[in-house]
Amino acid sequence: MRDIATRRALAVPAALAATALLAAGCGGSGGTSSSGGATKVTVTLTADGCAPKPAKVKAGPATFEVTNSGASSVSEAELLQNGTIVGEKENLTPGLSGTFSLNLKAGTYQMYCPNAKTERTPFTVTGTAGKSSQDPKVSAALNQAVAGYRTYAVDQVNKAIPATKKFTDAVRDGDIDRAKELFGDARQPYERIEPVAESFGTLDPSIDARENDVTDPSKWTGFHRIEKALWKDHSLAGMKPVADRLDSDMARLKARVEKSSFQPAQLANGATELLNEVASSKITGEEDRYSHTDLSDFEANLDGAQKAFDLLEPGLKLTDPSLAGRVSTQFGKVADALAKHEGDYSGTGYVDYSTVGSADRRTLTQKVDALAEPLSQVAAKVSG
Amino acid sequence: MSAGPSRRALFAGAGVLGAAGAVAACAPDKAAARSATVPFHGAHQAGIATPAQDRLAFAAYDLTVTGSTEERRAALIAMLRTWTRAAAAMTAGNPVPGESNLGAAPPADTGEAVGLKPANLTITIGFGPSLFDDRFGLAGKRPAALADLPKLPGEDLDPDRSGGDLAVQACSDDPVVAFHAIRNLARLGRGTAVMRWSQLGFGKASSNGADQQTPRNLMGFKDGTRNIHGEDTATMNRWVWAGSETDQPWMRGGSYMVTRRIAMRIEAWDRDFLKDQQDVIGRYKYSGAPLSGHKEFDTPDFHATGMGGPAIPADAHIRLAAHENNGGVRILRRAYNYTDGVVPSSGELDAGLFFICFQQDPRKQFVPLQRRLGSMDALNEYIEHVGSGLFACPPGVRPGQYWGQALFS
Repeated sequence: MRDIATRRALAVPAALAATALLAAGCGGSGGTSSSGGATKVTVTLTADGCAPKPAKVKAGPATFEVTNSGASSVSEAELLQNGTIVGEKENLTPGLSGTFSLNLKAGTYQMYCPNAKTERTPFTVTGTAGKSSQDPKVSAALNQAVAGYRTYAVDQVNKAIPATKKFTDAVRDGDIDRAKELFGDARQPYERIEPVAESFGTLDPSIDARENDVTDPSKWTGFHRIEKALWKDHSLAGMKPVADRLDSDMARLKARVEKSSFQPAQLANGATELLNEVASSKITGEEDRYSHTDLSDFEANLDGAQKAFDLLEPGLKLTDPSLAGRVSTQFGKVADALAKHEGDYSGTGYVDYSTVGSADRRTLTQKVDALAEPLSQVAAKVSG
Repeated sequence: MSAGPSRRALFAGAGVLGAAGAVAACAPDKAAARSATVPFHGAHQAGIATPAQDRLAFAAYDLTVTGSTEERRAALIAMLRTWTRAAAAMTAGNPVPGESNLGAAPPADTGEAVGLKPANLTITIGFGPSLFDDRFGLAGKRPAALADLPKLPGEDLDPDRSGGDLAVQACSDDPVVAFHAIRNLARLGRGTAVMRWSQLGFGKASSNGADQQTPRNLMGFKDGTRNIHGEDTATMNRWVWAGSETDQPWMRGGSYMVTRRIAMRIEAWDRDFLKDQQDVIGRYKYSGAPLSGHKEFDTPDFHATGMGGPAIPADAHIRLAAHENNGGVRILRRAYNYTDGVVPSSGELDAGLFFICFQQDPRKQFVPLQRRLGSMDALNEYIEHVGSGLFACPPGVRPGQYWGQALFS
């Protein structure tokens, strides 16, 4: 985990997604591949309110441009339908601006800005989404994709719990050698669905923070705290509470994942995010700095991204077969590049990452970049 | 330092015309300069004869695409088409095409140049010798003039700062605009090409136009007093543009670019006494006049004598580089200063000249000039060539064409 504040949420609470987004056919961002451009709606945050201009638009893709021109008491705008957030822009301090995009269905909405004099302003969407509504075949394929991803996420968290337990049992037993052997496998299910966990605020920092992510070292918990104890301190003294906490965090994660629902664009962007993780923290050797088991995490991130893409692929093939082909080809190349480093280091299927030289690391990064670039184009092609 | 084999740059006068009468004394209006554009389309690529801008962002790329020859070739052509469209847009001051304005898609353009004027942006492409191996079926299209540069005296080249299948020279009066160009081309090329090395340059270190003041390089000397002027068509045709002499018709109207990263031993140079600095270069530091004359544009008199010897010493840089002493050979220089912080091992400044030159045939121009300079130039005590590139820059494109189209037809 890194830079939590900037992460896009992959999962959204089920209630919200079901009522507002999926059911309404609104992607996390709007438009279809053939969209000729979104309708622009301007929202200016002031102490008085946040009246959208225009106040009435036609159904279809829309981009909301939100600007805080100097209201210190107001810092966010939310588009509500039936009391549920369908789109929002937060953390806009005076002088900042930002956008969010949606595929708007006809209906009555409210633009909501907490703490303004007038907090809610009506917003109307007329007509039907018309041409921008999705081909039913595409919708069906994407509905299968999100259902499949939910099953996958639940399955992974169900694997994470016993795998973590085996590891934490070894920690509680003070068995350093055994804990080292189990560390990589314990992390894999979690790393496959990491963007989901990251969407739950404090859970990912608690499970996966590195030493430099925490301000108070005495409050540092999770896998990497134990990793340091195993590989650097060579002592598990004081690790029992950390092990217990890791198990309970995993149980909390399971409860959250089971209540989650997903959108196609979130699957795609989550996959890109996993590859960004690979490039920024695995290939750099940053994540597993004591154990050097980074390639095991790399594999898990790649698996998770591949799974999300595999699920989206049937729908994407209908909207942009060329992009589907490019992404698929590049996935194969990354897998081939990773396979060159297979081994049997510390219970993982890979070599000790500290033995991988800079030229190989550079090649790995370039292949991941070559995959992530076309993959980042997928979300817009699978938005409802 | 380095006594024997010299490391040497073609700084001050790799054989250039002495004529250059008119010097525009007034600096161009900054605001006007920034809104200016240089036409992208034309018989020749922009960025060679066109006036040198203040800033450089240079990148060499390697092609990583795999598959059959046909597949690789198709991927290369597709990338060149995309690059050409993007380059035409960026030089006109527009973002990279393809913006969908959808929140779920990354922006087509990376955005840092939004709101900036193109500031005379030019984007120039070149093809390295390695492009003509067996990967793309181009072996038969390799121009004889694109022969690998031989080992040259005094160089100590870093392979990570040398070579490349492709190169892009982006120049602008705004450094953000120049960097934006190579960054976006790298992004558009992902999956087909990767950046091999890149170099930023600042403060053009050679003028190539009659209306430009002669700038100074980091040694503090005027550089380019006798450079070829882009508007001097006859000289350009004789020494810079590939023409009927080429064995490869696709190169007609193009030019060969040689780049050399020339590290300066700045600390040592700065404590060299003034007379010696002037003797090394062959010019007066402040006026820029040759040691045989009084004014910058006085033609050097290599026969003039001073106290106890030639006014311009036998190993002075401008003597060795002058066309009069090289069988008339000239090149067009378009160099930039660079600095990349400090050298980690010494703590000294990592700075110098990113030398770029254009010519009709490097075998007859850069190579013999550098052989001579690299072995004899007094300047070698203070410089070292540490990076090298050679690229065939195809002719210009018309609207609808892509860079190097004739190479593939």
